[in-house]
Amino acid sequence: MFSEQAAPTAQGLLAPPSAEPPTFPRVPVSGYSDCSQPFQLGERSFSRQYAHIYAVRLAGMRPGLEQRARSRWGSDIALRKLSELQAGEKCCVVGTLFKAMQLQPSILQEISEEHNLVPQPPLPKYIQPSDELILEDELQRIKLEGAIDVQRLVTGTILAVYGSEQEDGRFLVEDHCFADLPPPLPWNGPSSDRFVLLASGLGLGSVSGEALLSTQLLVDMVTGQLGAEGEQSCAAHIARVILAGNLLSQNTQSRDTINKAKYLTKKTQAASVEAVKMLDEILLQLCTSVPVDVMPGEFDPTNYTLPQQPLHRCMLPLASAYTTLRLVTNPYQANLDGVRFLGTSGQNISDIFKYSSMDDYLEILEWTLLAGHISPTAPDTLGCYPFYKSDPFILTECPHVYFCGNAPHFQSKLLQGKEGQRVLLVTVPDFSATQTACLVNLRDLTCQPITFSGFGADSED
Amino acid sequence: VTYKWLSYTLGVHVNQAKQMLYEYVERKRKENSGAQLHVTYLVAGNLLQNGHVCHKVAVVREDKLEALKSKLSTIASVHVYSIQKALLKDSSPLYNTDYDIVKTNLQHCSKFSAICCAAAVPRTPPDAPRAPASARSPQRQRDPDAAGAVNGHGPPAAKPPPQQHKGIMGMFAAKAAAKPQDTHKEAKAEAKEAPGVSAASSKPPTKNNIMNNFFGKAAMNKLKVNSVPEQPKEEKEVVKPSAAVAEPDSSPNTVAEKAGKKTESARIQQKDKKSKTKRADRSDDEEERDPENVKKKRKRIKQLQSDSSDEEDVPPSPTPEEERAPSPAPVPALKAELEPASTEGSAGGRKRKRKRVLKSKMFIDEEEGCMGKTG
Repeated sequence: MFSEQAAPTAQGLLAPPSAEPPTFPRVPVSGYSDCSQPFQLGERSFSRQYAHIYAVRLAGMRPGLEQRARSRWGSDIALRKLSELQAGEKCCVVGTLFKAMQLQPSILQEISEEHNLVPQPPLPKYIQPSDELILEDELQRIKLEGAIDVQRLVTGTILAVYGSEQEDGRFLVEDHCFADLPPPLPWNGPSSDRFVLLASGLGLGSVSGEALLSTQLLVDMVTGQLGAEGEQSCAAHIARVILAGNLLSQNTQSRDTINKAKYLTKKTQAASVEAVKMLDEILLQLCTSVPVDVMPGEFDPTNYTLPQQPLHRCMLPLASAYTTLRLVTNPYQANLDGVRFLGTSGQNISDIFKYSSMDDYLEILEWTLLAGHISPTAPDTLGCYPFYKSDPFILTECPHVYFCGNAPHFQSKLLQGKEGQRVLLVTVPDFSATQTACLVNLRDLTCQPITFSGFGADSED
Repeated sequence: VTYKWLSYTLGVHVNQAKQMLYEYVERKRKENSGAQLHVTYLVAGNLLQNGHVCHKVAVVREDKLEALKSKLSTIASVHVYSIQKALLKDSSPLYNTDYDIVKTNLQHCSKFSAICCAAAVPRTPPDAPRAPASARSPQRQRDPDAAGAVNGHGPPAAKPPPQQHKGIMGMFAAKAAAKPQDTHKEAKAEAKEAPGVSAASSKPPTKNNIMNNFFGKAAMNKLKVNSVPEQPKEEKEVVKPSAAVAEPDSSPNTVAEKAGKKTESARIQQKDKKSKTKRADRSDDEEERDPENVKKKRKRIKQLQSDSSDEEDVPPSPTPEEERAPSPAPVPALKAELEPASTEGSAGGRKRKRKRVLKSKMFIDEEEGCMGKTG
């Protein structure tokens, strides 16, 4: 996208100084509206049990699933609750999935004195062949077996299964279905080229400084200092920058103050303080030139449970002075020029990755969209706020761009739905590792990765 | 020397800086082929990678330039990134140069860029209500004389005495301003000020209270009337910044009287935190002092408060108060909303009884104040 337009004047700056160089105005922001109100928590009370989330989730998704089941298996099938099951009768049941995993880290096992177990080290994947699937609804639960992929599914998914109850009390599944893509949103995209830059995992505060030059190059390119005139004019079409989490690196997480004695740590500052200052400076450079949305991530100074609340603006004093800076929640939803964006900083996807046999982040991203829920594992293995009125992670409308941050590498796919939905799925790679960011073209929903690099001692190009 | 550094240092557009660098390189190379200039270039373009077209932006050394250019399918831009004398091993010096120059110019980092964004306007600072409060504290700490101006806000009847005590009030009022408002705040502020400035600085606030108490008790109609409405004002407008105005009004009155009572202020300051009644008692004690003490203490204050520019005002101002001093009422000034004059008589008697006791205490206080004086 960039290059074709820029190519003609590529070598333009290899010349003696010319007359007053042109300045390009940034494309104005039109039609931005923040839709992430469901993810913003006001008064928080943690006195409720998490069972309410599951109840609300099931109640919220049941109608859609029943409709889906009818359309798939015939409108005359029997929809039963678990308590109404009769042995041998073919029926359809809607419920929440629970996967009993032996390797799942369980706090009860850890503190169990009888076993004298050493706490389990974190594994990349916790799946095992002996895992079992159990379907739960409001009152009962039943074990599932049959034509259902145990390894692939995770706890917390709402699905409809079609089959019959066996003599031994298990449910033999013949077919199952998910909520599928939610209803589509009308398309109001821009008619001219307009870009949104997605980047995640800036990883500031890490010990190694290799990515710092790349970060600076990224900022320079977006603010229009880098590149020849053609490229700068293209960069002027970047309407927005979304930073999807992990602005600080994992190194800033170490908290010596807990482990070491007070007299050793008295004069030391938390590593995140320096990192936040650096982040503030970088954001200031960006904010003076382009609207920026900052989402918190796993290692950022905000709450741990999903939905993560926006970073507090007192941490970013220099950049907060500009109206172009927007601090937003972790699952983030917004309308940009008529295009609906929805995305997370990647915690939900990486959690599903740990508990499912699916390996590809893009595949998992697509699967969450088909399952109709952003983060099914939320209260079980991923921290979550105890919602009780409604589950904001249920997908009610189909976004146009669905992204997740901090993926191992860049992937993108345009998904077409049966009802005319068009979704661009983007896995935004971790910038500190790959020095790659993504540029999404709002006009035609295409995505291009941009890589930045300096040169190191081992001079490779 | 990177293009960004040049751009900021010379104040030119980034593109011009890049062109300047190029021209410099060309010229130097033509002139003196022995010159060892190492140039790095920025190359950007499309690259076919992993099956999809990836846009690559890279900083490369001159020797790698052509190799990278051939790798790219389309070249979007090439320009000089930096020039240096020595061969760079890695790109960290480039980053450091840019980092430093940007840091020194953080507020104008988009000035020389090729893109200007109309939407990027700084927000208006939100804390207008806090301005008076912050204005008050600097006023308190740095500009005691400004309190003199505040005195004008006092009730008209109180004008003559406050104006007389302008100097002292100026010294004390600003500091004492916050005291009746918020004992905690003031205690803290005074605690800060006391070690920071001097014992003298802590005295004015306490003296303020003492003065308030004194006025509450005193049978001076004028001052009383003035102080009484001021005291309720003080008490009511504790948190409002405007209270700062009210307090200097009363405080100047009291301050002038308490001009000589510096030693007690230290002790009284602590007691102020505890209870106002105690403060009243202390103020009683202080008020009991003989005019001589007052005079002497005033002198001490003068010496201690070298920063006060109103020293000449000190001696004349307390004298009128001294005359009014003899009939104080033992009611805590801060708490006494409406002190009837009748209490003065009884208070006077009480005062006299206390006088003897207090004198010894005053001895102690004075000794503590390191200005040993036979009461």
